[in-house]
Amino acid sequence: MFKNLIKESTGKSPWLFHINAGSCNGCDIELVSVLTPRYDAERLGFKLTGSPRHADIVVVTGPVTAQSLDRVLRTISQVPEPRCIVTMGSCPQSGNVFRGSYAIAGPLSKYVHVDVDVAGCTPKPEAVIDGLALATKILAEKRGQME
Amino acid sequence: MDFPFLKEAVTGLFTKSSCAMYPAVPSEAAPNYRGRIVYHPDKCINCMLCERVCSGNAITHTIEKTDEGDKITRTFYLGSCTFCATCMDFCGHGAIEFTRDYHMIATKEEDLMVSGSFIKKPPVKKPVPPKPAAAPAAAPAPKAEEKDAEACKPDKPVEAPKAEAAPVAEVKPRDDGKPVQDPAKCVYCTLCAKKCPAGALTVDRAAKTWVLDEDICVGCGTCAEACPKKAILI
Amino acid sequence: MALILQALRYLVYVLVFPGFLFCFMTGLLLCGIDRKLVARMQKRVGPPILQPFYDFFKLCGKETIVPAAANRTVFLLAPLVGLAALVVIQLFIPVFRFSAFNSIADVIVILYLLLIPALSVIMGGAASGSPYAGVGLSREMVTILSCELPLLLVLLAIGKVVGTALGTGICFSLSKIVDYQMAHGSLLGKLSMIPAAVAFLLVIPGETGNHPFDAAEAETEICEGPLAEYSGAPLGVYKLSHAVKMLTMTSLFVALFLGGIGTGIENLMFQLGLSGGAAGAVAFLLEILVLFLLCAVLTFLTISVVHAVTARLRIEQLFKYYWTVVAGLALISLVLAWYGL
Repeated sequence: MFKNLIKESTGKSPWLFHINAGSCNGCDIELVSVLTPRYDAERLGFKLTGSPRHADIVVVTGPVTAQSLDRVLRTISQVPEPRCIVTMGSCPQSGNVFRGSYAIAGPLSKYVHVDVDVAGCTPKPEAVIDGLALATKILAEKRGQME
Repeated sequence: MDFPFLKEAVTGLFTKSSCAMYPAVPSEAAPNYRGRIVYHPDKCINCMLCERVCSGNAITHTIEKTDEGDKITRTFYLGSCTFCATCMDFCGHGAIEFTRDYHMIATKEEDLMVSGSFIKKPPVKKPVPPKPAAAPAAAPAPKAEEKDAEACKPDKPVEAPKAEAAPVAEVKPRDDGKPVQDPAKCVYCTLCAKKCPAGALTVDRAAKTWVLDEDICVGCGTCAEACPKKAILI
Repeated sequence: MALILQALRYLVYVLVFPGFLFCFMTGLLLCGIDRKLVARMQKRVGPPILQPFYDFFKLCGKETIVPAAANRTVFLLAPLVGLAALVVIQLFIPVFRFSAFNSIADVIVILYLLLIPALSVIMGGAASGSPYAGVGLSREMVTILSCELPLLLVLLAIGKVVGTALGTGICFSLSKIVDYQMAHGSLLGKLSMIPAAVAFLLVIPGETGNHPFDAAEAETEICEGPLAEYSGAPLGVYKLSHAVKMLTMTSLFVALFLGGIGTGIENLMFQLGLSGGAAGAVAFLLEILVLFLLCAVLTFLTISVVHAVTARLRIEQLFKYYWTVVAGLALISLVLAWYGL
């Protein structure tokens, strides 16, 4: 019963951490606009935290540049289980227009298992809310399967 | 210390929030919003202009040979698409359409691929127009009388009569973006006709004719690229 | 036998009311109300009121990562120390006429105990071995330092007022303060105590570490400060102690300035003809409810409104503010009380 309570609570209180892996900031702006009064994501329990150790869902924007690759991977490894990784925009999914450049270390799925992709350049805030809601469901499933 | 927004804060407690409650209240994208791509393979002619202009290299195609012709499958990878709609602008046949669906969320990469296929039959060869009557021999054989005249006038340079050649005019590209042939350089190798994805060119090697069907031509420029003599200007 | 019953009674006090369970429920409820009200004031919808409960249980289910550079024992035990101290304070604070351990309640003890949660944050931050934590904990030290002075002055002023009335000099016993208020009406009625009340209200957001005095736990600047390396259940306990501190400070205000007079509920019930054990229990529950409502109103006024309309103060601005404006107000009250007004 206690496990069920924890599982339900995990689905209602996902905390976000945002990593910018070399993005043009378009997707970052749309992500923080999700927390503004117009699309208030806090009513669904989302909260932007300051430390990766407090987070459940990691949102990565930007094509993973060669300089930021190591740091992104180290930050993601600091997020405690259960965790969900969401890529936002088409940059971390494939590099978009920067594909093949000497400075891009490739799509994020080459290095970590990505749970949800939110496509768009940039995705609309409603699409971001949908993507985060799906990630929350996956998070609750993961919590249910832990232990 | 002053608190500039105190009044708004307190009145905000009693007014309705300015929140568009998204999942409960559905919201539509603006008109002309460039969302998910829809591909109409029945309108495509495989000119590959979209692939060439795509800024994110998101469009690829594969060709399988079947009995009826080539089965061409074109795939748009939305995970690499910038939604700039350049492909839609360049497609002359309206095979690419951007809908207002912004809800593109995937857990697997395959969910982001939009593809369609169509069978491209080989172009139907148009009947070749009959050969025009042979022009009079290019160099009229010097008559016997003239030979003596020539011998008597050794100084006069022998003018080798040339064929009826119009004065060589400068070949200029057309304004409407369709190709124009430079007859001086063309060798009628028929490569352009073979490469034309629309089948708009008819070239006859023997008859040395180059005919463009303007209704079908899309101005993609494949013929100009294919020509080994750079005889096509576009 | 009586000893066992006594021990059992104390156990109920410690664990259920006004101990751990009561603190847990009301503290998190107050925190939820605060978040909801802040959101409404910012014209948003805001999280459901039960959101801090979901947060706490979710954190209990997360993996606890102890960094390699951390001192493991201190890292894991520091949050519990803070929570224990707060529950002990709550045990000493009377709920209108009911007081769990009234023979020992002393305001000076409460003052010292109030330091311990802040110290536990500092210990936890120091034990985690992260430079962000180092910056955060030095700011936390400055914060508690700046809040202690006005608090001490307020308590001195109240003690002097009550002491002169009882003829014992300065009175520090909380139960005696409550009894004085029962006899003479609430302390808020005395004009000389109003600056002290205002000073105490201003100390509340500083002590709880809420906006705009949350330089120690600044999210965006220093990655959550001393709590940067915490995850899982210890972090949940820290968030819980933050919520319980809200309850403690507001109920302390109610006890010091508004309390003792009772709510008159028992008298009302007597007049309505109800009496006896059951009516007494109902009256008691209603008094707890009134306490909760008062705490909620105070939370709204001191924590939520201030959160919604201000920006975060820098640490030196915070220090200057507390030691000039707030301490000045408390000093006025102390001087007036010393002269018997």
